Amino acid sequence: MTTLKTHLYDEHVKLGAKIVPFAGWDMPVQYTSVKDEVLAVRQGAGVFDVSHMGEFFIEGDDAEAFADYIVTNDIQGATTGKAVYSPLCRENGTVIDDLIVYKLSPGRVLICVNASNIDKDFNWIKSKHQGFKCNLTNRSADFSLLALQGPKSFEILKPLLNELPDLDYYSVYESAFEGESVIAARTGYTGEDGFEIFGTHETIKALWKKLMSLNVTPCGLAARDVLRLEVGYPLYGHELNDEVTPYDAGLGWAVKLAKTNFIGKESLAPKPSRYKLVKLILDKGIPREGYPVLNSQNETIGLITSGTMSVVLNKGVAMARIQIDKVPSDEVVLVDIRQKAYPAQITKKPFVTGGHK
Amino acid sequence: MATNIPGNLKYTKEHEWTLIEGDTVTVGITDFAQSALGDIVFLEVPEIGTNLKSGSTFGVVESIKSVSDLYSPVSGEVVARNADLEGSPEKINEDAYGSWLIKVKINDAAELNNLMTAEQYQEFCNSSH
Repeated sequence: MTTLKTHLYDEHVKLGAKIVPFAGWDMPVQYTSVKDEVLAVRQGAGVFDVSHMGEFFIEGDDAEAFADYIVTNDIQGATTGKAVYSPLCRENGTVIDDLIVYKLSPGRVLICVNASNIDKDFNWIKSKHQGFKCNLTNRSADFSLLALQGPKSFEILKPLLNELPDLDYYSVYESAFEGESVIAARTGYTGEDGFEIFGTHETIKALWKKLMSLNVTPCGLAARDVLRLEVGYPLYGHELNDEVTPYDAGLGWAVKLAKTNFIGKESLAPKPSRYKLVKLILDKGIPREGYPVLNSQNETIGLITSGTMSVVLNKGVAMARIQIDKVPSDEVVLVDIRQKAYPAQITKKPFVTGGHK
Repeated sequence: MATNIPGNLKYTKEHEWTLIEGDTVTVGITDFAQSALGDIVFLEVPEIGTNLKSGSTFGVVESIKSVSDLYSPVSGEVVARNADLEGSPEKINEDAYGSWLIKVKINDAAELNNLMTAEQYQEFCNSSH
């Protein structure tokens, strides 16, 4: 299978990035050091090429109503100019993907989805389209996407764009860079303040080069994964998959059962969950995906879904899917790391508090 | 990459370096390996007295995002482990050849013939990566 390349691929190679296959794409996994890239985002600003992600547009009178019908979170209740994170579920309540719905203007909605799920999502959404007065288009091949993340993001981006108000978190604004249209949203996947900027390939390439000339740190997928895990954000294929419901993955808050109708409502109404997604922190040892989680009787009660060394805490941190009736009341579990059991504390708060608005 | 390959050491295809002094072999990972791994955050090496077999795994080195096995270049008994690296494995990134992992008292000197010279290792790195 040939892998796809973003329009910034040559820029990444020039910067000395290590390239790895990811979701069918050749993507930069790191440039210099994962640690330096994570700290750049926590303390200053870093930029990620996430052009592999998918963009769908829904346009027409029923755009908001259709978006509201296909996802579990509340789209119609959000004002124009807002972005809404949501699971996309089947009738049986299992998760097809997680995505962000951007309400650009009345009758015009952008949906950004995971790269690995573009075809699956588009085919699904298209199959539910009948009866709604709106057009659905997959524009993934037309758009590049940068994520500029970190506390300095706003002061860096503001002078570069035609106009950029001090947007609220999860808001979106249509602006321009060097006369070319861009969509700038105050969203991201790092827990820090920052923006995701959509535009044509040439526009985004010019913006990337501009950010490089301003010494913004280029960051790869490895740093992105550490950053999202430190703030406890789920990742499709790890915490989320075709078998689990939003409730299994701690996303019950994004299921709005008060909505009149949406796909999966009937199945999700009893809040079905077989698992609890927990955050684990270890004093010793680094938890990795697939490692078993045990209780004090050495019984396997779950699995690590994502794990890493936290750059900020310098401790092993993880998310784990645990059988809902097996979560120990003392909130201490064991992680089996190479046949050795390491104690882990269940924690409710994110490992790291991001600085987003 | 992989320009730092001291001539006085011998190397393995698993990117370990060895310093041979009599019947004691000091083992570390090469500059190429530390660079490929990235920020090293965890190291697990065997206790003193452990018997190692050439080619089998003897420990683990972890970077922020990856876990890699360490393979013993020789057979023999672990006679020392580098206490300096406990709690600060990142020293391997800073100085791969100054950061030895273990010392092994070898059983079979003939195994040393399997190790690569600096020139051979340079060529190996160039051809395989």
